[in-house]
Amino acid sequence: MFTFRRIVVAVVCLGFLGVIGAGALYAFNRAYYSSQIAETAAPAPTAGQIARGHYLALAGDCIACHTAPGGQPYAGGLQLNTGFGLVAASNITPDKDTGIGGWTTKQFILAMHRGIGDHGKRLYPAMPYTAYAKVSDADLTDIKAYLDTLPAVHHDVIANQMPFPFNIRLMMVGWNMLFFDLGGQQYKNDPTQTAEWNRGAYLVQGLEHCSTCHTTKNLLGADESGKFLQGTDLAGWWAPDLTSNKRIGLGSWSEDDIVDFLKTGANDRMVAAGPMAEAVHNSTQHLTVPDLHAMAVYLKSLPASDDSAPSPVPANIPAMVAGRAIYAENCAACHALNGTGVPGMAPAFVHSPSVQAQNPENMIRTILAGGHVAATEINPTAASMPPFDWKFTDAQLAAVTTYLRNSFGNAAPAVTADEVAAKRKEIGARATN
Amino acid sequence: MTSPILRRDLLGTAAALVGTAATLPAAEAAQISGSLPWSPSEGTPPPVEPTQPYTWEFFTADEAALVGAIADRIIPADDLSIGGKEAGCAVFIDKQLAGNYGKGTNYYLKGPYRPGTPQQGPQTLETFAQRYREGLAALVAFCASKHGGAAFTTLSAADQDALLHEMEAGAFYTGPVTSTAFFNQLIQNVREGYFADPIYGGNKDMAGWKLIGFPGARYDYRDVIGRRGEKLDLEPVGLMGRPGWNPA
Repeated sequence: MFTFRRIVVAVVCLGFLGVIGAGALYAFNRAYYSSQIAETAAPAPTAGQIARGHYLALAGDCIACHTAPGGQPYAGGLQLNTGFGLVAASNITPDKDTGIGGWTTKQFILAMHRGIGDHGKRLYPAMPYTAYAKVSDADLTDIKAYLDTLPAVHHDVIANQMPFPFNIRLMMVGWNMLFFDLGGQQYKNDPTQTAEWNRGAYLVQGLEHCSTCHTTKNLLGADESGKFLQGTDLAGWWAPDLTSNKRIGLGSWSEDDIVDFLKTGANDRMVAAGPMAEAVHNSTQHLTVPDLHAMAVYLKSLPASDDSAPSPVPANIPAMVAGRAIYAENCAACHALNGTGVPGMAPAFVHSPSVQAQNPENMIRTILAGGHVAATEINPTAASMPPFDWKFTDAQLAAVTTYLRNSFGNAAPAVTADEVAAKRKEIGARATN
Repeated sequence: MTSPILRRDLLGTAAALVGTAATLPAAEAAQISGSLPWSPSEGTPPPVEPTQPYTWEFFTADEAALVGAIADRIIPADDLSIGGKEAGCAVFIDKQLAGNYGKGTNYYLKGPYRPGTPQQGPQTLETFAQRYREGLAALVAFCASKHGGAAFTTLSAADQDALLHEMEAGAFYTGPVTSTAFFNQLIQNVREGYFADPIYGGNKDMAGWKLIGFPGARYDYRDVIGRRGEKLDLEPVGLMGRPGWNPA
């Protein structure tokens, strides 16, 4: 009884201290915010600044999240499933009530650099401020100048749809302490590298925020250290390894291969599909070739990820024999019997990083449901691959995937019928006829 | 001499056309911008191959047995291949008659109705399903009159052939047309059943394709196109594949 009483008192005291702590944090947060956004009147932006801001906003691919399907550009509303709950991207048109029309440039920079929104409200890192922190004040100023020229759209977005306790935005203060090194975040040139390399690093780490998709996340949704751009699962798609790993990364691609891919949505070996097709369509195709080349130079300099190359599955096992027949009689018309594909249209499979990827889910889902290449100004055809879900059993689809992963110079673990069955269910593909 | 087009028929037709046009909705073209639309798992898969034991959808059991027996006379089993019945020709025809083909959905079946010339093809309001129902009943009756009430399926092959020859020559009527038309239809449909993709119920184990060396639904011949005059022995592939696709 006595002990119980003690526990109750302790809990009440701790709760009280917690409330005081939270209150203090809240007050500090508001005060900090006010101190950061105080601003003297800035000169009106020039046309050149606005044009630069437009280019940089495209590089940042703001439109991808800040536009709902079928909605007004930049007016927000797209729901992002963070794994902890839903967050809707906000309205960033210059509407005074529902957008960011009332924001000063300093407020905008604070949000982009620190994840601190209106009135000190903490943003969730679904908004990749951890990457945008690298972007210079000058570039962010121009982006804001460009956003201010957009038509104001009145569209109220309920951003925070997280369940308790993740709906407490102040929790992000702690998250930032753990995973986001406050201060000194802006990109600093590495004097040992060329100007081009630095430009590429600035774009890849900053506005293009490649690591948002291509870096493994820890349990709390932050980039895992030491895994930068080494590939990860992204809501049922495999965002591939972008390091110079020759087997599964970009090591076997030339700089021009990377530029072609990002500029046109395809190169002689691969096409952009799925979420990357959107990134190419909305963002990278609009970048200049020198900027894309700089990104390629930087990506090619990333040290290769660890990889123990497996030995290929023997060609005489039943799955390989069946897989070869399936490939020759269904796939070879476009991808060719020797796996060389059609440049710019049907991916080649020879020494293919995509085919040998740590996770074969992109191949499985594309064979099941079909695929669609990014449509770009240079390559507007946007070729499609037909779906085979109605045609191939799980075992047949596993066999042809295993065959591809272990032919044409590739070597990767076999795919099982269970993996195919799980993917079929996950993406809502049809059952076999 | 062809029948002249009567002025009042022409006027009637024109009036009907005007009436139809007035009730048609205005066509609205879909507008596509940016790139071609696409969505996952697009398109309509082909029909599902009928499973065994098969449940007849259109034929009665007697009709099915009769059509099977006829198919076996049109394509008899021999040392080259299986016969029409075993190949599933009756199943194929049953599925077709139960579906759009039997209902004549791709034919204009509204008036005005008048006899046409042979060049104009079938000029009847009868659907193929009705043609079969009436035609098979007429054949049963014709057979019974010739063989003292015996059923076609119980006759010897020679007697069956003799009956079919008479049918081909127009010995009786099947509904509004002579038995010649129905005989020609049977020949056509049995052939289709023997050589159509197995998903439609016939061509069992691609027997028809193996018989004539047809390689089936393959998409690419670039690796063999140079091998002229050579027997390629490509195993036929159906729309749902072939046994070699199954890893076992």
